[in-house]
Amino acid sequence: MPILEAQALTKTFRRPDKDSGFKGAVRHLMQRKYKNYTAVDGIDLSIEAGESVAYVGPNGAGKSTTVKLLTGILRPSEGTVRVMGRDPHVERIANAHDIGVLFGQRTQLWWDLPVEESLKLLKHMYGVSDADYKRRIERFDELLDLNEFMPALARTLSLGQRMRADLACALIHDPKMVYLDEPTIGLDISVKDRLRAFLRELVNDGTTLLLTSHDLADIEEVCERIVVIDKGAVAYDGSIERLKAHYITTKAVNLYLEGAANVPELAEKFPDYEWTAGEAPSEVVVTYESNRFTTAEVLGSLTAQLSPRDLSLSEPSIEDVIRRLYAGELTK
Amino acid sequence: MADTQTPAIAVPVRHVFAIYWRTWFAQIRSIVEYPADLWVMASAGAVWNILQFAFLAVLFANVPDVAGWGYHEMLLLSGLLSVAGGCNALFWDGAWSTGAMVIKGDIDYRITRPAPVIIQVGSSHIGMQSIGEVVFGVAMMVYGWIGAGIGFAAIPIGVLAIACAAVIQSALVTALCAVNFWIKGQASIFAFLMIELQGNAMKMPLGIFPIAVRLVAMFIVPVAFINFVPVAVVTGHMSAWWLAGIPAAVVGSVLLAAGVYRLGLRAYDSAGH
Ligand SMILES: Nc1ncnc2c1ncn2[C@@H]1O[C@H](COP(=O)(O)OP(=O)(O)O)[C@@H](O)[C@H]1O
Ligand SMILES: [Mg+2]
Repeated sequence: MPILEAQALTKTFRRPDKDSGFKGAVRHLMQRKYKNYTAVDGIDLSIEAGESVAYVGPNGAGKSTTVKLLTGILRPSEGTVRVMGRDPHVERIANAHDIGVLFGQRTQLWWDLPVEESLKLLKHMYGVSDADYKRRIERFDELLDLNEFMPALARTLSLGQRMRADLACALIHDPKMVYLDEPTIGLDISVKDRLRAFLRELVNDGTTLLLTSHDLADIEEVCERIVVIDKGAVAYDGSIERLKAHYITTKAVNLYLEGAANVPELAEKFPDYEWTAGEAPSEVVVTYESNRFTTAEVLGSLTAQLSPRDLSLSEPSIEDVIRRLYAGELTK
Repeated sequence: MADTQTPAIAVPVRHVFAIYWRTWFAQIRSIVEYPADLWVMASAGAVWNILQFAFLAVLFANVPDVAGWGYHEMLLLSGLLSVAGGCNALFWDGAWSTGAMVIKGDIDYRITRPAPVIIQVGSSHIGMQSIGEVVFGVAMMVYGWIGAGIGFAAIPIGVLAIACAAVIQSALVTALCAVNFWIKGQASIFAFLMIELQGNAMKMPLGIFPIAVRLVAMFIVPVAFINFVPVAVVTGHMSAWWLAGIPAAVVGSVLLAAGVYRLGLRAYDSAGH
């Protein structure tokens, strides 16, 4: 049985339909008009224990709303969620012991308390034993350097410290199912790397993870499966490997010519490839389908006829693929 | 990681109390360590109380009694009301942030934790500046108590009345603040309205008001049981039977607050960011 199962999950928000400004607000008070906005539109999602799932999509796609539905914060307008067989909204207390949640944009630390106090309050709330608490804090400290800011008041932490502390809060009770909504947002590279290493370890230990992120490096390094959503609906659901194999069907060569490149002329000369201008006037990008031509063939014909000064090879990143998925250029 | 914790299905009442007090003490410790402008604020609260004291002194210098109530009895009314309001701030100030938390989506994390949301919100802040209100309120009560010649035997009733007043006051404030689950806004207008009306009306004997007002204050929004009823009983203006109404008001107002909060959480939509 999957650890998490969502069926036809839908959330419709009611938004006040008002013009901006004071006049609009007054008119809204009189008329009370609302518009419905469907942020999550019939999502089916099933996650097996131990899976690590990346949940990606453009801004406003409905990622955070989905996480709130899956964690029981919001009541679905339609559809159902089961986490370990429970409805997380109805049985929220029992569910709370099994899940860990982090919203990168917000903190769950008590603002005026030292970090350590927040962790202790949570320890007590979740009923974590002293021995387990000690062991987990030691481990978090190894990986996240918690002790560096344990006595500091939450409101004095840097963003990176705050996120590390929040991660410890989300995991202090060793939850089986963990939801991380933008855990690396706004962090600098070194903290990001650290966090990713920590998450990889978490996944290796068997924790089930759902992670939303804008940063595709997070996804490639931590997750095996990717769910792409757009406008509240699933656009792709499958392994990252399959996504690459299926959609990364083109490769590209960057050529640096002696003089300025004449793109239309080149396109006419080599109609099998796609030609686009590069960043410099002497640079061109040649894209070809990797199942029709080998790289050797392509390079052979190009170098023989154009004798470029230099060249480099590139493969489209998963980022490009996902961007094209959003844009509706690719289908499931 | 091996696991030794036992998942609870519902939260036992004792655990809820423990969570509340731990959160409260953690914040007190922090306030004591970083007192900042605490004393300035506490003094402001105290000055407000001295003004009340002065008002009553001036009033009774000119009139012998108000609807049969003397100076010291009126001090008891004012004092108990101050203590109730002050205790609300000291022990349950977080309830006032309900509206702000709803708008900002700060209820989110609290829903994902294994403890009642209302407890987590109520204990989320301590209005330490109100310590002055409590201290002066108690001083007014002691002075009024002695002046009215009530005697030592009734002191336990007085202490219980203070505890019940704090609970009823906090519960009614919570229920009214929870209206902001539906009416989105930072300000808890209904709760403000209630304490404003209390501040004006409940420092007077209830008897001077029309019957409709009296009925509302007793049975609809039972603010009368916060200060008026206990004081009227210990001063002999009402029969002791009315004391039974106080625990009833405690239970009723707590259930009301819990119920409104529960409904509010069902309607909670988080925030769009
Ligand atoms: N509480 C809310 N009330 C009204 N609209 C909301 C609310 N939460 C989210 N939305 C809207 O739903 C859409 C999806 O939001 P969200 O799930 O936060 O997107 P994402 O996390 O993918 O960026 C957005 O258009 C957002 O404005
Ligand atoms: Mg989001």
